[in-house]
Amino acid sequence: MHRKNLLVLIIVLLLFAFSICALIYPLFGRQEMRLGLDLVGGSHLLYQARFPEGATAEEKTRSMDRALETIRTRIDKYGVTEPIIQKLEGERILVQLPGFTDIDEAKKLVEQTGFLEFREVEVNRDGQPVYLVDYLEASDFFSDEKGTRLFVDEGGNPVAFLMKNEEGVLTYVNKDGNPIDVEELREGLADLPAWIPARGDDGTVLTGSFLASATPNIISRPGGAEANVGIEWNEEGSVIFDQIAKRLYSRPYGSVERALGIFLDNVLISAPQIREPKYEGTGVITGGFSIDEVRRLANLLESGALPMPLEKPPLYEEKATLGAGFIDRSITAGVIGIILVMLFMIIYYRLPGVLASLALIFYGALVLALFKLIPVTLTLAGIGGFVLSIGMAVDANVLIFERMKEELRMGRTPGAAIEAGFDRAWTAIRDSNITTFIVCIILYWLGSSIVASAPVMGFALTLFIGVAVSMFTAIVVTRTLLRLFAGTRLVQKTSLFTAYLEKKSA
Amino acid sequence: MLDIVGKRFWFFLIAGAVILISLISLLGFGLETGIEFSSGSMMTVSFEQEVDQDELKQELANLGYANAIVQRSGEGDFFIRTSTLTTEDKERLVDTLTAKFGSLTETEFHSVSPMIATETARNAAIAVAVAAVGILLYLTWAFRRMPKPFHYGTCALIALGHDVLVVLGIFSILGGILDWEINLMFITGVLAVIGYSVNNTVVVFDRIRENLKKGVGSDFEVVVNNSLVETLSRSLNTSLTTLFVVLALLFFVGASIQNFAVVLLIGIIAGTFSSLCIAPTLLIVWEKGEWGRFIRWLPLPGVKARGV
Repeated sequence: MHRKNLLVLIIVLLLFAFSICALIYPLFGRQEMRLGLDLVGGSHLLYQARFPEGATAEEKTRSMDRALETIRTRIDKYGVTEPIIQKLEGERILVQLPGFTDIDEAKKLVEQTGFLEFREVEVNRDGQPVYLVDYLEASDFFSDEKGTRLFVDEGGNPVAFLMKNEEGVLTYVNKDGNPIDVEELREGLADLPAWIPARGDDGTVLTGSFLASATPNIISRPGGAEANVGIEWNEEGSVIFDQIAKRLYSRPYGSVERALGIFLDNVLISAPQIREPKYEGTGVITGGFSIDEVRRLANLLESGALPMPLEKPPLYEEKATLGAGFIDRSITAGVIGIILVMLFMIIYYRLPGVLASLALIFYGALVLALFKLIPVTLTLAGIGGFVLSIGMAVDANVLIFERMKEELRMGRTPGAAIEAGFDRAWTAIRDSNITTFIVCIILYWLGSSIVASAPVMGFALTLFIGVAVSMFTAIVVTRTLLRLFAGTRLVQKTSLFTAYLEKKSA
Repeated sequence: MLDIVGKRFWFFLIAGAVILISLISLLGFGLETGIEFSSGSMMTVSFEQEVDQDELKQELANLGYANAIVQRSGEGDFFIRTSTLTTEDKERLVDTLTAKFGSLTETEFHSVSPMIATETARNAAIAVAVAAVGILLYLTWAFRRMPKPFHYGTCALIALGHDVLVVLGIFSILGGILDWEINLMFITGVLAVIGYSVNNTVVVFDRIRENLKKGVGSDFEVVVNNSLVETLSRSLNTSLTTLFVVLALLFFVGASIQNFAVVLLIGIIAGTFSSLCIAPTLLIVWEKGEWGRFIRWLPLPGVKARGV
């Protein structure tokens, strides 16, 4: 019995040392406590996926998974620590970026569809470039190309899409798909060239899906640094690209029809001239970018396009919170709470109270270490749950000590009272804590199914861990410590167990 | 020995009165719902200079936000709640306030659509219902060796209902008088009270179970009373230690956790009362079929208080 007790004590001490280590040093790749958005600040974005009509459930699932992966790649490449990217009920996607307080930048990072395509300027059957002004008078396309003609302004932004409607009539729409009045286009926009999809010899349109890699480059030049994105095509893309390059190369140098337009989400980001008939799989996108811009562009190109557009759902929340001193204040509250509880326990229960206080310190360290290692995202509500669990953590001890007092009053020796106290209190501890577990599990389950539930989930999880650990500390730690004293003479002094026991038992 | 269960009709009277007041207040005032339950924007700003709350409110009214709610949340910190702000609206507001009151830091900004919290509230209600069934099933199972296991779970749930109603009622009064709003932290707090309240009740029931098994005392009423007295100091001590930490939360963390802490404060007090005075005494009344006696006792409260 004695040896077994020693063994348990050693295990408990090791566990305590381990918890302290886990809290101080990075362990299992966990650097720091994971803090929720309300504490550390950051962006919270919620999206609704929009699928084309008639998409099957299977297609939707696949697209959702790909979208999640794409967003995760983009965010990881950007270097946000511990983002949360989650698929929610009702085809919604939740993105939380702790520490990322620039919400506009966050939105750009996530929302940009990232659809990259290459276009060239349409030439008519005489080999001349086609402009908007030509189309305003025309009733049919000037070449065999069937796809949309895209017109962009000087900034590269799309002003009009030209397409044939079902009756074969030419119609102009804006980027939202709404028809535009032709008269508006006449004013000042007439000299915009018509961009048509750049196709390989077999008619395949060159898009970002043929990219193998994209890397940001910074090149120092005498006149300042130039930032560009180096791209590498995959095998198929390499063939298509060279076929297009060869065709464009035959056009006059410096003319608009020799440029290859690089369009990202229908915005022209660069239109370099084709300088060689063969590129053999590599290329460079330039366009007067800043260093940040090439980083984002390379990131966007490499992570690929989103399989579907994301839109703001009817249910949304955008947040940019800064954790203004909450953590400090919560720590103060926790420490003061613990000290008050300890004082009470020591004054009321004497020696066992001191041991329970030691157990409480062990409890705090173990719970926080678990929070860090699991990891549990600590939110304000989670801290509430933890601090509350401190109060409840002593409950098991209180139950046991009250039981011990009763046994002492009935005339048992302190050693026997300790054992009886623990044994008798067990059913009460078990049943009361199981009901708390039931509540926690149901709260957690509820939390995972809805959006605004981070507080509820955090609370449920921290309370669950807290109550589970408290059972362990009360039953194993406090008991082991008490048994250590059971053999000593100290225990014979019943006054150490309770203030007014002797009066009653006398 | 202290006779607790003997005063059961008084306890019912008190609980009934409190519940009645809560219900009246809930019907009259309703619950003042926070930003999370209606669309709008909420920001927390921190001024470097001392700013008067009324002046701030006046300035917001001048800007066209006459319905803005302004709450002081710390030294130089204010919660400002307005109708939904666009980015430009927000910039204009911050610029105007800076011009008027000197430099400020914006520490928090939310824009929320109303459905988010409505959905949460609905789900919370579902969760409470499911949790109640779970508790009922578990307690019925845990007390399966007792003569009427179903009674225990039901009485625990009635005590739970009492606690939740009292919390809701008091918050509706606080909302009516002090404009306190309920938010998601409030819901979290209510859910915590549910866990806490049942926990307390089960400890008392556990002792009743043990004493019944031992066969001490022939009368159920005596057994319940003994069990209550035996667990009394435990119940009060646990409530006290929990109150300590809740008070520490309330006083040291401040406004952001205020709702949660106050809900727990009320819940712990109500929960301690109901787990000691309502749940166990209900067992007796149910066991003995005393409802008729309670009704007859009612018209003349005080005359024969101990005449149970």
